[in-house]
Amino acid sequence: MQERPSLPPSAARRPALVLRIGQALLVAAALLFGAMATASAVPIRKLEWSYIAPDPLATTQQSTGESRTPFDLPLRWSSVEGSPLHTVAMRMHFQLSAVPDRTWAVLLSHTSEGGRFSVNGHFIGAIAAESATRHVSWRRPQLLAIDAPMLVEGDNELLIETSYGPGSHALAGIEVGPMSELWNQYALQFVLEYVWTWIGATIALLTALVFGALWWRRREAISKLLALAALCWIVYCAAWLVEIIPPEYRLWVRLAGMTAMAAFSATLAVTLMRLSSLSRRREEWLIWAYAALGPVLSLASSMGADPYLSLSWQPGLILIIAIAAGVGLYRRTQGLVAPHPLVLIAAVILLLAALIDFGSVARLINFEGTPAMNFAGPLMLAALATPLVDGFIKILREAEAARAELETRVREREQLLKRNFERLRASERVTVEAQERQRIMQDMHDGLGSQLMSSLMLVERGAVSNEQFAQILRESIDDMRLAIDALAAEDADLAAALGNLRFRMEPRLRAAGMELTWDARRLPEEIGLHPDVVLPILRIVQEALTNALKHSRARAVRVTLAVEGSGEAQSLDIRVADNGRGIAEERVGGRGLLNMRNRAQKIGAQLKLETAPNVGTTVHLRARIGPISPSTRPQQTVLNTQAIIERARQQ
Amino acid sequence: MSADQISIIIVEDEPEFRRRFAQIIDGEPTMRLAGVAANKREAQVLIDREDFDVMLIDLGLPDGTGIDLIRSVSQRKPDVDIMVVTVFGDEQHVVSSIEAGATGYILKDSTPADVISCIRLLRAGGSPVSPVVARSVLRAIRSRMGGAGTSGASAPARSPNAENNPLSARETEILQLLAKGMSFNEIGEILGISPHTVTAHIKKIYRKLAVHSRGEAVYEASQMGLLKT
Repeated sequence: MQERPSLPPSAARRPALVLRIGQALLVAAALLFGAMATASAVPIRKLEWSYIAPDPLATTQQSTGESRTPFDLPLRWSSVEGSPLHTVAMRMHFQLSAVPDRTWAVLLSHTSEGGRFSVNGHFIGAIAAESATRHVSWRRPQLLAIDAPMLVEGDNELLIETSYGPGSHALAGIEVGPMSELWNQYALQFVLEYVWTWIGATIALLTALVFGALWWRRREAISKLLALAALCWIVYCAAWLVEIIPPEYRLWVRLAGMTAMAAFSATLAVTLMRLSSLSRRREEWLIWAYAALGPVLSLASSMGADPYLSLSWQPGLILIIAIAAGVGLYRRTQGLVAPHPLVLIAAVILLLAALIDFGSVARLINFEGTPAMNFAGPLMLAALATPLVDGFIKILREAEAARAELETRVREREQLLKRNFERLRASERVTVEAQERQRIMQDMHDGLGSQLMSSLMLVERGAVSNEQFAQILRESIDDMRLAIDALAAEDADLAAALGNLRFRMEPRLRAAGMELTWDARRLPEEIGLHPDVVLPILRIVQEALTNALKHSRARAVRVTLAVEGSGEAQSLDIRVADNGRGIAEERVGGRGLLNMRNRAQKIGAQLKLETAPNVGTTVHLRARIGPISPSTRPQQTVLNTQAIIERARQQ
Repeated sequence: MSADQISIIIVEDEPEFRRRFAQIIDGEPTMRLAGVAANKREAQVLIDREDFDVMLIDLGLPDGTGIDLIRSVSQRKPDVDIMVVTVFGDEQHVVSSIEAGATGYILKDSTPADVISCIRLLRAGGSPVSPVVARSVLRAIRSRMGGAGTSGASAPARSPNAENNPLSARETEILQLLAKGMSFNEIGEILGISPHTVTAHIKKIYRKLAVHSRGEAVYEASQMGLLKT
């Protein structure tokens, strides 16, 4: 059973109006390649078609066709599912005014068929053609060389012997010309029509990866739809790019391509709606259902319904996209939420491409070549990605701006804090200095000042000898030394200050025949105390030693220093013991002892006096020296110079 | 005058004290007064002209501080003992003098016997020290070791850092005992050495402090670009 191919409606080699996506690209690339079809190349417009008896192709050298049917090129035909392999011979003629001196070639463009090629009976090459074990559908152009001597002056015949099975077939552009010219054309077509689809698939792959990853992390609907559309496009491209497969897979590949295109269209329509803020479940489901209809029917009919589907179902898909895009355009003109202008432009281009492809399939227009969708699809994906990437960049910028602002604020706050801190430090320093001045002044009043004052009174009264006067001055100097020892460092070391006291007192005690024993074994290496505390302690110990020196008539004086406990409970224990005659009852309340008690009280220490006639006297001072608490700090007393002078006068 | 007499110069601006120190030395047969100066300028002339063993110097001179004189003498005449005359024996004056190269100090109101014995101690290779000064020397050493400023006082005693600490363990121990108010005799007993050895240790410590501070000054000067290396 044989069937005749239907005739193409027009024989024009190129459509008059090329509404072709990437035309500008083509022109630019053509300029780049530096050559287009030239005058010397001969396009072939007619062929003679004859069926060959069921002989295998390989054994056929010359056609014995009894009926040669003329056809115009480009030629499209299809063979229904289940029909057997047909073997045909196609003869084409071209005229030469002279035998060329260069190698010539045959360029096959937009031709799905392979076969054996001969010129004037000379075999020039074979391209894989359909057979029982393979289905062939070339997507790339083919170029075959013709040796110049094979050509003759006048009429030349190009013979193609080939086979075809079920499915649609195309024999569009066949051109004969000098190899040097056709080669450029061939290379250009190869890149634009074949390689471009690979590039489109690559773009889709990247889009799918980026937005798939984005969706994986963010679960954002638009990213998911875009990734899905890109995925569909990859499948579509893969199906389209398959040129040779075992026949049993042919239908599945076709189904996959069809399904992918349907899913791409539906996804696109849904995306456009979502971008218009129209997220309607029912409509979306309808779109998906309609998209699924084609593949389902196709599968159900074992692809038998395909030719009808491409004319009835496919326009529906185009219509759906057109409605979605139209809504988007309308909303944009109304200033409502709408897809990005780039997306709308790409959608319009895609629709045009779809219409061209539909027109070509339906033979409404004469357009030969790679489906325009192959150009428009990646464009659409890129256009959809652009606003998303824009948004992403915008968010990044906002985040950066926010961070910069935060940094500025933190810096400002830091500087404010620093200024405040410095101000605080300055005022603290002023306060400390003022306190220090206060303390030194008070000390001069209480100690040296009052001492000098009372001495002055005595001297004025003429009641002192030179000897006594020297003694008074010496005591004044001693008192000053105590103050200096106490002030020696920021944190006075009590042990060292007491040691200094010992060094001063020891020679005097020795001169008076007293043995001084100094026991500092239970002192830590260093006792850092505030001068406010150190000075009273030094004065008490000096007073005790001076008392012993002046009044006790002792043979030996023993000073025992110890620190006991630790932390809060740390306390200093000082004993000054002599073995003298003791202090008489009536003198226990004397001024020197009273002074000692007052000083002890000021620093929150306990002072005990043990005295017994002819046994000796022990002054026992016990002071807490744990971390300084406000209660242990001496109270600030108001300076009253007048009172000091009065007190001195009364003595 | 005999060769084994100790020759002494006095740099003191107050006439009363100058006279007093001169009298004390004149009254001591083993010592000889080589000259007196009342200010830095005179002192410089005297230092250049005279050979002497001991320099008694007051820090507060009318034409500047005596610290410079101490530094130049200690560098040019390392055999000379420099003794600072101070009113209170307070740590600030004494320690900066030691750092400049002084190996002794004496209080202005010391008895003649004290003055004589202190000079003898110096010539015998020893140095005097009071507990507060001992403590200050310890602090000075520590602050240099740790580079932690001068606030080493309130910090607990750190273990001596062998690299930066110029003092031996024994020297540190002696200073610590002195700072607690122990006498040379007591320290000698505790450590099983003579009191004289204790004072010799002190002198060694003073010298180390001076050398150390000099090195530090040179280092700081080179850091500031004052010296060409």
